[in-house]
Amino acid sequence: MTQKERWTPYFFLGPALALIIAFRLLPALTGIRESFYGISFVSDSGKAFTGLDNFTTIFSDRTFVQSIRVTVLFNLIVNPLQILIALGLAILANQNVRGISLFRSVLLLPVAVSLSTSSIIAGMAMDQLGLLNGILTLFGQPQQLFLLSSKTALASIIGISSWIGCPFWMLFLLAGMQNIPHDLYESASIDGATTWETFVSITLPLLRRSLLFVLVSVTVANFLLFIPVFILTSGGPELSTSTVMYEAYRRGLVYGDIGASSAMVSALLLFIIVIIAIEFYLTRSD
Amino acid sequence: MTQSSVRYSVHRMWYSSRKTTDLVRKVIIYILLVLVVLVVWVPFMWAIAVSFSPLEKVFSNAVPFTWKALFPVDFTMQAYVDLFQMFHFWTALKNTFILSLGTVVFGGLTSALAGFAFSRFEFRGKGLLFGITLFTFMVPLEVIIIPLYIMMTELGWMNTWAALLLPGLANGLTIFLFRQFFAELPQEIIDAARVDGASWTRIFFQIVTPMSKPVMITGALVLFLGAWNSFFWPLTVTSGENMRVVQLAVAYTTGDHGIIRWNAKMAGAMLSSIVPILILLPFQRYYVRGIANTGLSGQ
Repeated sequence: MTQKERWTPYFFLGPALALIIAFRLLPALTGIRESFYGISFVSDSGKAFTGLDNFTTIFSDRTFVQSIRVTVLFNLIVNPLQILIALGLAILANQNVRGISLFRSVLLLPVAVSLSTSSIIAGMAMDQLGLLNGILTLFGQPQQLFLLSSKTALASIIGISSWIGCPFWMLFLLAGMQNIPHDLYESASIDGATTWETFVSITLPLLRRSLLFVLVSVTVANFLLFIPVFILTSGGPELSTSTVMYEAYRRGLVYGDIGASSAMVSALLLFIIVIIAIEFYLTRSD
Repeated sequence: MTQSSVRYSVHRMWYSSRKTTDLVRKVIIYILLVLVVLVVWVPFMWAIAVSFSPLEKVFSNAVPFTWKALFPVDFTMQAYVDLFQMFHFWTALKNTFILSLGTVVFGGLTSALAGFAFSRFEFRGKGLLFGITLFTFMVPLEVIIIPLYIMMTELGWMNTWAALLLPGLANGLTIFLFRQFFAELPQEIIDAARVDGASWTRIFFQIVTPMSKPVMITGALVLFLGAWNSFFWPLTVTSGENMRVVQLAVAYTTGDHGIIRWNAKMAGAMLSSIVPILILLPFQRYYVRGIANTGLSGQ
């Protein structure tokens, strides 16, 4: 590369990098900084360094502690559930039967529908006079309040986020399965391995990278889940669906308590990082 | 019975039982396939039916459920008319088209340029800069939504196109996709162009770009779907009907006196869904390939 062209790489990188630094990196750093600042009436900027004050405040706040409880419960159920269903769907979509490519398309297309729109449709299906109660009645089951009862609201949110979520995560696992060399299965079949043995000794180990990717992505997406809660329940009834992300949004953008809100997001982020580290540790190859 | 005929009948029994299990296996697979398709699509079909029904009959055949619920009662387009007349849906559609196309054009161009730099150049700070890029790919917008909101307030950008569009252009995923694709292109072609004295800009636009149709389609799809389906960021930085995007418009389709106009809401949901579905339909392969690329290189 000539002397004149020393700056060429930076010229190519410049626009994207400027955008990333301005609209991702900088806000991320500001967010962490804001968690250590509180409102001040003496300083010119209107805020002052308050150390860990925001954190002690939020952790003694009952609404926030409740949102931690909701988030942990939600994630303990939704993450394994979505991964298992996505894995099941991927196995199904990977079967060599007539019409399977049509099935893949039919399952792929709803993935284009947004989480907000699918939440609204699923919310309507959960109405007292809606589709789901109709199907329950058809099978002689009692009708449910779904989103309107604190007993069933969180389970309903799990169902709503999995409805289009599982087919989406399935795509990654299916791609991983199709990447496994076919002759491995052939030699296993010659050796007389059962379907289950083949799955455990060939499919799962070779799917490790895709599974880990999905595991981490699912964890991040579900810990930060906001849209269905915002649109359908506003955290209710009785805070039963109030996730940390929703609480942080409410505290920061509705009540204007930026310090507390930033502390909540920072704490959540730290927690997610720990979970992801554990996931990496548990799925390590040896 | 001779020994050979015993062997023959055992063989035949074994063969036919294998054939039966194969058939059973196929039947189970098809039952599961149909069940999955029903679970995924029946709510959509019901929503389509609701969007073509008059308001007073929207839930007519839902409880107890009959197949009639999947077809409109007294077919009418009134909900779609209401949507455009009462809820300014036209503005929302227009805004979302501008947002999505702007994101595809500017986000695609900046990502492709950056992807090219990461795949073909050696320069100081490359590792660090690529790390920062991957960081944006791992950290979703939700995490930084509050500081980003404060930033927009301080810049005086609230409720402007700049605030709506610019943060969505910073996309680590598309940069990553472009980098992966460009890294596979044969070096000889670029070397030959260098020998001929072509500038890097010229190489990028006249040699690399024409060879990169697949990744351009994948990148465009990722950016378009992201922008078209965005909800949280527009919710945070826009207010009022002039800047409203489709996803927000669907959520805000509630009539006077708090009556939910389900048919208009579903008409909006259908219009907000049909556009990304129609765009994905012909390009499924490219989208799936992009997904395979991101999933398989997760380490």
